[in-house]
Parts: sequence; structure tokens; C-alpha cells
Amino acid sequence: MLAGLAAAAPFLLGLLSLAPNRLLSPRPAGLPLTTPVLLSIAVFLLAGLGLALAACRARSLRLAELLAVAMMLALLASAGMAAEALLRDASASARAMPAAGFWMSVLLVCLAGGAAAAGRGAAPSLFWAASLLGGSALLLGGGLESLSLLKEAAARGPEIRAALAQHLALSGGAFLLALLVAGPAALLALRHPRAEAVLMGVANAVQVVPSIALFGLLMAPLGALVAFFPVLRTWGIGGIGPAPAVLGIAAYLLLPLASSFLAGLRLAPPALLEAAAGQGMTDRQILRAVRLPMGAGVMLGGLRLAAVQAVGLATLAALIGGGGLGALIFQGIGQLAADLILLGVLPVVALSLAADALLAGAQTALGARA
Amino acid sequence: MIRFEAVSRRFGQGRPAVDRVTLEVPAGQIGVLLGESGSGKSTLLRMANRLVEPDAGRVLVAGRDIAGQPVEELRRGIGYVIQSVGLFPHWTVARNIATVPRLLGWEASRIAARVDALLRLVNLPPEEFRDRLPAELSGGQAQRIGLARALAADPPLLLMDEPFSALDPGTRRDLQAELRRIHAETGKTILFVTHDVEEALVLADRLAVLDHGRLLAEGVPRDLLADGAGPEIRRLFGESGLALHRLATRAAAALATPGDAASLPALPEGATQKDALLLMLEQGARAVAVAPDALLRWDDLVRAR
Ligand SMILES: Nc1ncnc2c1ncn2[C@@H]1O[C@H](COP(=O)(O)OP(=O)(O)O)[C@@H](O)[C@H]1O
Ligand SMILES: [Mg+2]
Repeated sequence: MLAGLAAAAPFLLGLLSLAPNRLLSPRPAGLPLTTPVLLSIAVFLLAGLGLALAACRARSLRLAELLAVAMMLALLASAGMAAEALLRDASASARAMPAAGFWMSVLLVCLAGGAAAAGRGAAPSLFWAASLLGGSALLLGGGLESLSLLKEAAARGPEIRAALAQHLALSGGAFLLALLVAGPAALLALRHPRAEAVLMGVANAVQVVPSIALFGLLMAPLGALVAFFPVLRTWGIGGIGPAPAVLGIAAYLLLPLASSFLAGLRLAPPALLEAAAGQGMTDRQILRAVRLPMGAGVMLGGLRLAAVQAVGLATLAALIGGGGLGALIFQGIGQLAADLILLGVLPVVALSLAADALLAGAQTALGARA
Repeated sequence: MIRFEAVSRRFGQGRPAVDRVTLEVPAGQIGVLLGESGSGKSTLLRMANRLVEPDAGRVLVAGRDIAGQPVEELRRGIGYVIQSVGLFPHWTVARNIATVPRLLGWEASRIAARVDALLRLVNLPPEEFRDRLPAELSGGQAQRIGLARALAADPPLLLMDEPFSALDPGTRRDLQAELRRIHAETGKTILFVTHDVEEALVLADRLAVLDHGRLLAEGVPRDLLADGAGPEIRRLFGESGLALHRLATRAAAALATPGDAASLPALPEGATQKDALLLMLEQGARAVAVAPDALLRWDDLVRAR
């Protein structure tokens, strides 16, 4: 069913569209009927047929998952080759981009692959890994470079790399800063209920302020600070730019970090802490040997959430001149250039998935060891 | 060995949790603190390792006031066993037992040897249990490990706060017997808290009864349950069961008479008069053997009071 829809979508909604240049809006384009395109479309359709058949029997679900991968790759290859064929007869500034039918089909194939994996009670990791691997191979092999997105990427290579580095610095810096504040603050709050009330009050209050407003709020005092101590400006600190962005993002990370640290530190039951104290462990020994190892899972969960938030929030740094991938996105929005927006968004998504996967891996490793 | 001198402690307003208690457990004996829930037993016990500080009075361990001693050092020299056991869930059995020796900086080889010796002492085969995690133990096994952990650095004094109260009756009786045996083998001084009258009578060399933070009575169990026991004691032990509890405080051998006991049901060594009565009821016998040439008769038992 899903396979059938996925196979039909490119024909009903169009595979590609063509625009005279990178800024004008695209129109649907017909499929160029060259041999390589026809071949790969045939593979796509055959894989779709096979998938529909394989999905009917529980035993061949693994085969169905592999056929979904084949569909995905054939679809990508068709788009790449069709784009190349289309551009051959068009002006040099013309752009070919995937149309609604392509996106629809990608979505449906993903659903079918996921359903096949779920049908045999597994996570669709085989599907994702194989699709990603095949996709990367196509990309590196140059099979896709006629598509508009990659043309844009090629044209802006250094700019994207710089934005990515900035983005990493912004989110990583904010993450470290928040960690340096939240760690000691959680330890303090563990001992003193008053400190906890203050910490949680501040962290919650920050959370309520919309992020852009918070960046704005930080601009004024930082600007004043720099006016007072001009030396700060030589260190790159000012009312706008990366400094308030890092501070603002860090402020947002305070709540997930501090609350998960506190929850983790409090995971050990009181009777256990009493047994530890009763045997003559010092507070520091209890912290190191009991509270930290027992709460590590919960604390890592908080780190995971905060890392993903940091990557996402760093996108907004562009609004106050902080740079990062957000700069590409907002530039793309300003120019109504969908490719540019995607070029900003895709690395953000990839970064946050990577950060999440890394910490999730750490969490699993910890769970296996405990 | 351990002596409380007029100690009091009040939490917030209202009546004190412990009210001017003076109490001593001589070296090498098991002193049992008996009382209903909320009577202040745990609070009194926890003053002995300074988990609770007294408002007034002082506590002496081995003749020295503990108030001036470094608190961690004091606790490392006193074994502590609690009802919920409190084994560290992320450590193996061996690592748990080794807690205090490691704090004291013992060598690894000495610790390993000590862990195995202690596992054998509490009747758990070292090869089988050394590397288990607490989650892989039954309740009774976990509390044996708790006891081994408390004994690890060979402290002269053990504090035990209702250690067997969460166990099922069979396991509880086994562990009571084990504790008696281990006590006989090691000669530790033990301060043991319980709300269970029978457990108190099985274990106590000396018995102290607490009620609303005050010491109601203190002494050897036989004297506490003698005919003149006051109304609070009678209520705590139960009017109807008092006679049976009293038998539990007396040795069967005290009423034995010489005679040929070879054909009679035999009592184990050290049995109480309660054991003798129960054996007679069980076997339908009018006399039981205390030794091959000494027997205890039904008539003597019921006449003794
Ligand atoms: N840390 C504490 N804070 C406040 N009240 C306490 C604390 N510990 C004990 N109490 C109170 O002191 C009284 C005696 O408690 P406890 O010594 O635990 O009794 P028991 O061990 O005999 O059941 C109870 O009323 C209890 O509520
Ligand atoms: Mg208690």
C-alpha cells in the first residue's frame, strides 16, 4: 500500500521542477526520457513492486526493508540523473530541484521501511544505515551534483564550513559555560535548600522569557559593560555578537542541566546514604562513590537534552549578529531561497542528531555496565 | 563497652524522642533495646555513632566520650547494620563488604582474604557470592552480607537497627541463630534494636525497654519478666503470653533432675524451658531429656512458675 503510493507519487506530483535561476520560483518539469533515467526509474518501480509483495509475508520483512533501501537509492539516482539531463538544454543559471512528488515519495518510502522494520519488532536502523551509506556514496560519486541544493552548496562551500564552525563554537561554548555553572550550583543546592530555591527560581524564570527577548535583554547590560571597560571589546565581548548569544543560550541550558543534576544526585535513597555515612564515609566520598554513579544515567539524560537544545538555540544567535548556521537560514528566508534555508537547516538537524546519538550511546554504555 | 549517660534528644517541639536515658551494655554482651514503633530506639542507637547528636548527656564507647572524637574515625570503628540493609547496588558483594577496610586503606590482598573469611562466617560460599550484585541476593542473603560488611574491619562494637524485621519468619529465626553463633565466636559487644518480643528474648543478654523515649526497665530478661513486672511491661509482652515468654528466659537445665533419659525426646544444648514445653506438646511426652542422665518433667515445669 505504502509502496504503491510511493511508486505513484513522482508521476502524479512530478519528480523535479526547474527554475530559470536560484531566486525565481520553479515550475514543474517533465521527466527527460534518457536511458539512464529510464533504467533507474525501472529499478525504482521494480523495487516498489517487490516491496509490496514482500511486505505481505512476515518472513520476508527483512527483504522488504532492503527493497525500501533500493527504492530510496533509485529515487535519488533518478532525480540526480534527470536533473543533469534537464540542465543540459537549459541556461547556465537554471536550477533543477526536487518537486513535491519526490519529497512525498521519500517520506512514503521511509514510512514503508520503518513499517517493515517494526513488523519484525526491530528499530529501522538497517534501513537508515543502508540509505545513509548509499546516499553518501551517490553524493560522493557525483550522481547528485546537478541538483540545485548541491549547486548552492558547492557555490557556498567555505561560507557553510565557517558557519558550521561558528555554530559548533556557539553551542559548545554555551554548553560548557552552562555545565560550569550548573554543576557547582547543583552541589550547593544539594546541601542548602535556600540555594536550591534560588537556583530553580532563576532557571525557571529564564525559561519563561522568549529566547529572542532574552538575547535582547542581554544586549543592554553587556553593551553598558563594554562602554565602561573598553578593554572587553578587544576580547570580542559586546552588546551584540557571539558573547550575548553564548550567555543567552547557556542561561536556557541551566534548567535542564541543573534539574537533572539535582535529580541524579538525589537518586540514592536516604537509607543508603545513611548506611554510607554510618560506615564512616565522608560527604565527599558519598558523593563520589554513591551519589554520582547512581545518578549518572539521569544526569546524562539531562546533558543529552541540553546538548540538543544548545544546537537548536544557537540558530537564533544569528539574530543578534552571533553568526552560525542560523545566518544562512535567515539569509535564505530573506531571499526566499529554499536551497539556502535547507543548507542551514540540514546541518543543524544533523548536528543535533549527532549530539543526541553520542550521549545516548554513553547512556546505553553506562546502563550496560551498571 | 558502651554507656549512655542521661542522654536526651528532642526533634522540634513536643515530647523528646529520647528522654534522660542511662544505659550500659557490658563488653562482649548483646544488649537489646525493645520498644514499640516511635519509642525512640533508633534515635538512641544512632547517638552511639553520632548519626544523631544528643541535646544533653553523653555517650561513652570503650570508656571515652565520643563527642570529641573525629566522627568518620569513630564510625569506621563501629559496625552498623540497618533494616533496609543499605548495600550499594552498583557494587559487587565483595566490594560492599570491603567498604570500611578500603576506607582504612588496607592492602588489596588482605581485603580479599578478609572478604572470603567473612563470607564463610555468615555461611555464604565465597566463590558463589563474591562477585554477585545486591540485586541478585535474597533478603536473607542480603542481610548476611550486611552483617559481614559491619564486621569487616573487626570492630569491637556492632549497632544493629531492626536488621531482621523485614525478613520472613523462617529466615528471621535462622539469622537470629546465626547471630548468636557469630556472637559466641567473635565476642563482639552488640546493641540490637527490635520491636519483636520473641526476637528480643532469643538474643538478649541484657534487655532495655523503651517507652515514649524513657527507659521503662533494664536488666537481664529473667529479672524483667519475673512475677513483679509492672503494668507497662505486662502490656508490651502481652498478658496472656507472659508466662510463655517467662519460660523463654530460663534454662531448661535449671529444672532438670537426675534419671535415665535415654528413651526420651532430647533437647538441644542450651535450650530454654519454653523449648522444653513446646517439645513436650509436640511429642506428647510428660518428660524430655536435657542430658543423657538428666530429665525435665512436666510437673516440675508447670510448678516452677
Ligand atoms: N530526624 C528526625 N526528625 C524529626 N523527628 C524524628 C527524627 N528521627 C526520629 N524522629 C521522631 O522521634 C521519635 C522516635 O523515633 P525513632 O527513634 O525512630 O523510634 P523507633 O526507632 O523506636 O521507631 C518519633 O516520634 C519520630 O517521629
Ligand atoms: Mg526505628
